[in-house]
Amino acid sequence: MKLSARNLTLAYGARTVIRDVSLEIETGEMVAIIGPNGSGKSTLLRGLSRLHRPASGQVFLGEQDIRSIGAREVARRLAILPQSPADGTDLTVRELVWRGRYPHQGILQRATRADYAAVEWAMEASDVLALAERPLANLSGGERQRAWIALALAQQPRVLLLDEPTSFLDLQHQIEVMELLRRLNGEGITVITVLHDLVLAARYARRIVAISAGDVCFDGRPRDVFTADALERVFRVPMIVLTDPVSGLPIPVPGYHASAVTV
Amino acid sequence: MAGMATSAGSTRKEIASGPGRMKRAGALPLVVVAAAIVVLVLVAALSLMYGAVTLSPGEAISGLTSNSDVFAHNVVWQIRFPRVLDAMLVGASLAVAGALLQGVTRNPLADPTILGITAASGLSSSAAIVFIDQQMPQWGIAMAAVIGGLFGAGVLFVIAWRGAISTVRLALAGVALSAFFGAAIVGLLASSRTFLQTSLGFLAGGLYGSEWRDLNAMLPYVIPALVVAFLLSGRLNMLALGEDVAAGLGVLTDRTRLAVLAVAGVLTAAAVSTAGLVSFVGLVCPHFARYTVGPDNRYLVPVSAVYGAILVVAADLLAKLVIAPSEIPMGIVTAGVGAPFLLYLVKFRP
Repeated sequence: MKLSARNLTLAYGARTVIRDVSLEIETGEMVAIIGPNGSGKSTLLRGLSRLHRPASGQVFLGEQDIRSIGAREVARRLAILPQSPADGTDLTVRELVWRGRYPHQGILQRATRADYAAVEWAMEASDVLALAERPLANLSGGERQRAWIALALAQQPRVLLLDEPTSFLDLQHQIEVMELLRRLNGEGITVITVLHDLVLAARYARRIVAISAGDVCFDGRPRDVFTADALERVFRVPMIVLTDPVSGLPIPVPGYHASAVTV
Repeated sequence: MAGMATSAGSTRKEIASGPGRMKRAGALPLVVVAAAIVVLVLVAALSLMYGAVTLSPGEAISGLTSNSDVFAHNVVWQIRFPRVLDAMLVGASLAVAGALLQGVTRNPLADPTILGITAASGLSSSAAIVFIDQQMPQWGIAMAAVIGGLFGAGVLFVIAWRGAISTVRLALAGVALSAFFGAAIVGLLASSRTFLQTSLGFLAGGLYGSEWRDLNAMLPYVIPALVVAFLLSGRLNMLALGEDVAAGLGVLTDRTRLAVLAVAGVLTAAAVSTAGLVSFVGLVCPHFARYTVGPDNRYLVPVSAVYGAILVVAADLLAKLVIAPSEIPMGIVTAGVGAPFLLYLVKFRP
């Protein structure tokens, strides 16, 4: 399902965070949104998912204005996983994932076979079936993140938005989460994720949207966007772009500490 | 209360012995509810028997079911039965209000008294009596209390919900509101000499002299509010996952919060109109409920209601017995149970 923004402006009170952004994300794309802190990445994600009412402009899910569709209706097609969601709950993984069926259930309506099937599928896809009865609080960071992704999947979304799903995870868990997203994308789900880690973005996304000061400054394939010049303009740090000898994909690294190079 | 304590104890053992806490207390809500209802019936039965005069079980039953024993019939039907029903309704209302407030604020310390809603209801109802009509009928008092309760909930929403919810901000706002409204109540009652005597029972909270008309005044508010509370409990589960997650799942978070606060305000006010400023029921009962049926609000809300009814009926029974044939205000008993519990929470819960 296509997701697009037209002349989208997002603000917190008088402070404009995203200014006049237009963006078309086609069905089945895997997009990474990158940019420095405070550039408006998370706000853009919230705007794209109906969590933030635009100051002006529109967001379209498929052909419909996202604000003309009911909140539950949107939640059946599009799921968003915010950055580090609350962990103050004492739910088990299965209980958490069941919450993802909310947009499909009516008040007082009993769980249907479709609900059970969706919950099982979501837990299987996110590889948390074995953890189903464990309380969330007892899981490692990577396991917990997969459980939250399972919650989003239980909505059976066509579009999945994630805000920094790999932050606070160690390398192995980062790779686990990104591999999961790639698998889901392979099943036809449009994946849009805010990422801090440029190496992960280069490796897993097929399209990079770079945000700087509330505007899209680069939009394209990793090979085209990840040039030292372009990245320096976005992050205001001297950058070096290496090439992965195996995949040929770019590996952007900061080139800041020139004085430390002694050889 | 003794029955509740043992059922909570056995549940705890079950959690500890389960493999990796596999077997959760939440799997047994029906058993818990059934046990709680049995306890409720037992305390209610005791409450029909004991008071200024003691009725034997046989006298209480025949008083309840026939009028062959005119004395027992009058004691049961004119005094004790309505008072037990009032106690149940007051307890259920306060406990559900507490469960809603703890759910919506995601704060285990939330409770209608701590957040100032009790005092707002009390101020409004006592102001109505002092300024409008000293002989105000009970339905008028209830209506005034509800207006005050809704006002208190509204003030809380506006003050504490601009931007992100902060536990500290909410608690501070609650302390300020309850101190302010509480002082206003005392000032109001102290300056009106005519009913200083009855106001003591109101301030401490109690059911002395409560009758059918109290029940009739509460029912139109409490029954719909309890139904709405139950219907909102599923959405409360979503709010527990955090603002953005809930919104992403299709919950209209602001509207839900406003509705939850309004319902909590109405329930608190209805209880205050009958029983005065009873504290701690709304704090203790949801915790007990969470302990026995787990965090799912669809169980937590109705189970809290039953626990609240038990606590207030039992507290009222004790209040009648401690210095019988005189009584102490029932609120003293709930505070006697609630305050140590609060201290326990502060000390042992993160």
